[in-house]
Amino acid sequence: MPRTRSPARLIVALSVAALLAVFLVYTSLAGGGTPSLRPSQLPGHTGKVSLAGKVVGPVRGDAHAAPLRFKLRDINGTATVAVLYRGSVPDLFKVGRHIVLDGRFRHGTFVGKRDSLVTKCPSKYAPKKSG
Amino acid sequence: MIVAVVLGVLLTVACVVFVARPFLRDPEARNDRLDTLSEPERRRIALAEERDRALAALKELEVDHRTGKVSDEDYRELVGSLRRQAAEALRALDTPTARPAERVRA
Amino acid sequence: MPELGRAALVLCLGLSFYAVVAGAYAARKGLRRLALSASNALIAAFAAAAAGSAVLFVALARHDFSFTYVAQHTSSKLPLGYSLSAFWGGQEGSMLLWLLVLTGYSAAVIVLNRRSAGDLLVWVVPVLGTIAVFFSFMLVAVSSPFATQTAPAEGAGMVPSLQNPYMLAHPPLLYLGFVGLTVPFAFGMGSLLARRADERWIVATRRWTPAAWAFLGIGQLLGSHWAYVEIGWGGYFAWDPVENAALMPWLAATAFLHSVMVQEKKGMLKIWNMLLVILAFCLSLFGTFLTRSGILNSIHSFTESSIGPWLLGFIAFVTAASLTLVFARLPLLRAKTKLESLVSREASFLYNNLLLVALCLTILWGVVFPILSELVRGESSAVRGPYYNFFLRSFGLPLLLLMGIGPLLAWRRSSLRALGRTFAWPAAVSLAAGGILLAIGAGSSIPGLIAYTFSAFVLASIVLEFLRGTRARHATSGGSWPGAFSELVARNRRRYGGYVVHAAIVFLAIGIVGSSAYDTNRQAKLRRGESMTVRGYTLTYRELVERQAANAREVRAVVDVHSGGHLVGTLRAGKNFYTVENQISNEVAIRSNWKTGEDLFLIADQIQPNGTVYFKALVKPLVNLIWLAGFVFLGGAVIALWPDAREQRRLVSRYGALPAEA
Repeated sequence: MPRTRSPARLIVALSVAALLAVFLVYTSLAGGGTPSLRPSQLPGHTGKVSLAGKVVGPVRGDAHAAPLRFKLRDINGTATVAVLYRGSVPDLFKVGRHIVLDGRFRHGTFVGKRDSLVTKCPSKYAPKKSG
Repeated sequence: MIVAVVLGVLLTVACVVFVARPFLRDPEARNDRLDTLSEPERRRIALAEERDRALAALKELEVDHRTGKVSDEDYRELVGSLRRQAAEALRALDTPTARPAERVRA
Repeated sequence: MPELGRAALVLCLGLSFYAVVAGAYAARKGLRRLALSASNALIAAFAAAAAGSAVLFVALARHDFSFTYVAQHTSSKLPLGYSLSAFWGGQEGSMLLWLLVLTGYSAAVIVLNRRSAGDLLVWVVPVLGTIAVFFSFMLVAVSSPFATQTAPAEGAGMVPSLQNPYMLAHPPLLYLGFVGLTVPFAFGMGSLLARRADERWIVATRRWTPAAWAFLGIGQLLGSHWAYVEIGWGGYFAWDPVENAALMPWLAATAFLHSVMVQEKKGMLKIWNMLLVILAFCLSLFGTFLTRSGILNSIHSFTESSIGPWLLGFIAFVTAASLTLVFARLPLLRAKTKLESLVSREASFLYNNLLLVALCLTILWGVVFPILSELVRGESSAVRGPYYNFFLRSFGLPLLLLMGIGPLLAWRRSSLRALGRTFAWPAAVSLAAGGILLAIGAGSSIPGLIAYTFSAFVLASIVLEFLRGTRARHATSGGSWPGAFSELVARNRRRYGGYVVHAAIVFLAIGIVGSSAYDTNRQAKLRRGESMTVRGYTLTYRELVERQAANAREVRAVVDVHSGGHLVGTLRAGKNFYTVENQISNEVAIRSNWKTGEDLFLIADQIQPNGTVYFKALVKPLVNLIWLAGFVFLGGAVIALWPDAREQRRLVSRYGALPAEA
């Protein structure tokens, strides 16, 4: 039965409302994003965060057995923090590399979450996709 | 270095000539009017699109009916109005007011 | 030679600028020769861009390190193919590629449309020219690939993971896609500028849009495959911002591609289509911005980057200008017909638009979230996989189902009885499939089970479409069944090619679901002779071998694979140590089971000096369907894009070919 008013507008309006509802439900349940911090910003954060910085030697230990220990410095600064990490280590990892890893800041040391270490390309684009 | 300069000059000259070509070929153009669409032409195009839409809708209805997407009842309901629409569109295109005015060629 | 390159770019800038100014003036005042001159200028701009590109290609091939760009991205031992591919490896080169492809498309569009759509073309030229002006300006004044230096003895070399055949094809294909979206955008804006209320612009871009969309899709698939085999973490897509940068315009383009069909047939959704084409184009510019401006590292590195602020400004300009134009021409975009029923093919296209745009916008929100939170709170906060996967499921699953429902609906409205009949078989097949899958244990992932059930529905409806269509054709024109089938497809290339593409998307969905919802992974530390098991495979680490290749030392752990009691293969996973670049790359081993589409994926995570290796083994069911889907996608796209003489004649009679200019 043909309708006199187009239901298209109603559909669009309902969909926008539905989308907002889904969005709000999700973000309120899942919490906001994970903060991405530099070593200088760590003090005061006790929850799970993502830490990005430049690897500073000496690098000691073994990520698979005894934890890997190194320091991470602000990419554009001097603040450093001691890092403890267990898990897989990307091959590009070395002193001077920019890396990101998740974890928690505890008693002055950043304890990394298992397998969360990723290297970031220091140049202007990610080497994974040069497009 | 010399090669670069020569190639650069050649490229530039070629591009400039190509850009100027319409003016070089036709310096004293009697008709420099761009063929834009006149009002009757626009109407004709709108009607032609109308006609093609109606004919295509009719064809799709036939296909949908034959492949079972449209029931016999629905087909009978819809085909009448679609045929009328198509006939109207064809008729509208044939009336003299819809024909575009003869373009004046230089 | 760098002077020639620089000169060519300056020339390109000048020609594009002329095309904009002269083209706009000529279109406004109705000047035939000036309009022709402007479009010639754009063609000449392509020649200039090509000349500049040739200079860079030659410098790369010759490893001419006096070009700063060449020294930064190649080394003297780099093979020719990869040296040439360094063209798009850096910021400056990729901007030049954008310009080259843009002017190339512009030239082709002009040459092909001059006679038949001249009146529309006069407005398309200034739009294309504006974009060309921007990119050539960036290349001339902000970020030139032709900077020179005193040539160092050796170049910096190419990152080893980029030295891969996939990387030869992936960026050019992506660019053919990104830049290709400029064409429908320019025609849409041109149509508004010319104050036309007809669908000429859609007809003119009928093949350009799906072609660009297909390039973008295949380019992304190649990129994913590269990530799978080369980066080797066991996955193929990580919701990385640069991956999202390509996905978003593709989703918007998918919506646009479908929605214009409704405009052509029913004269509806005109405003939607203008907004969708603007969204798709702006997202492809935004994608370039994301990958090149450094903004993803931080606001700080963004403001330090040379092109970031410029790109952002240009995107803002394009968005504002095009939206203003749409608003100003709103009366032209009134729909000819109204939506009559919520259960009709028109409505399903509307739902399609809504779902795709919703998915696209949630991904966009996820991408800009860190940037916005840094602006607002001073510290950036990122959303991760779970956020994206939630919305992919929320919107993707309904989209999957819609692919099966939409084609079964009739135009204008569908009665419940007709629906019941057409849906009966696909619904039955999908319920049966669901039952079987549940029985074999697919219930471990509810979204996975739903996805499989929907996939069965869609595949069944596609098969039915082909069957019913062939039967109907056979009934009318007789002949053999294969003959009826090929005639059916030949006469309805877009529809049946589209169905094949839909089937490809379903394979893609099945492959993604299988390899992410039903995968297994195990980690173990093995000494020589020890074994690990994963999902029915037993992996025995035999020995460590080393080999010196041309530019790397290759270390491999040799692992025997047993399944069902006997030896089925040997895998060699390990690492390459590159001498010149001083880098290590991860070399994974993959064993594909072609009968089940399953992959056994082995990573040698860490190799100790004493020969102990930390292994990670993954079993990914159905993952090879994803790559197969790429081929099916390509086939369907070729069918849909194949030229159709009858359709051409019909269009010529509708719009009439204008008398030749000049």
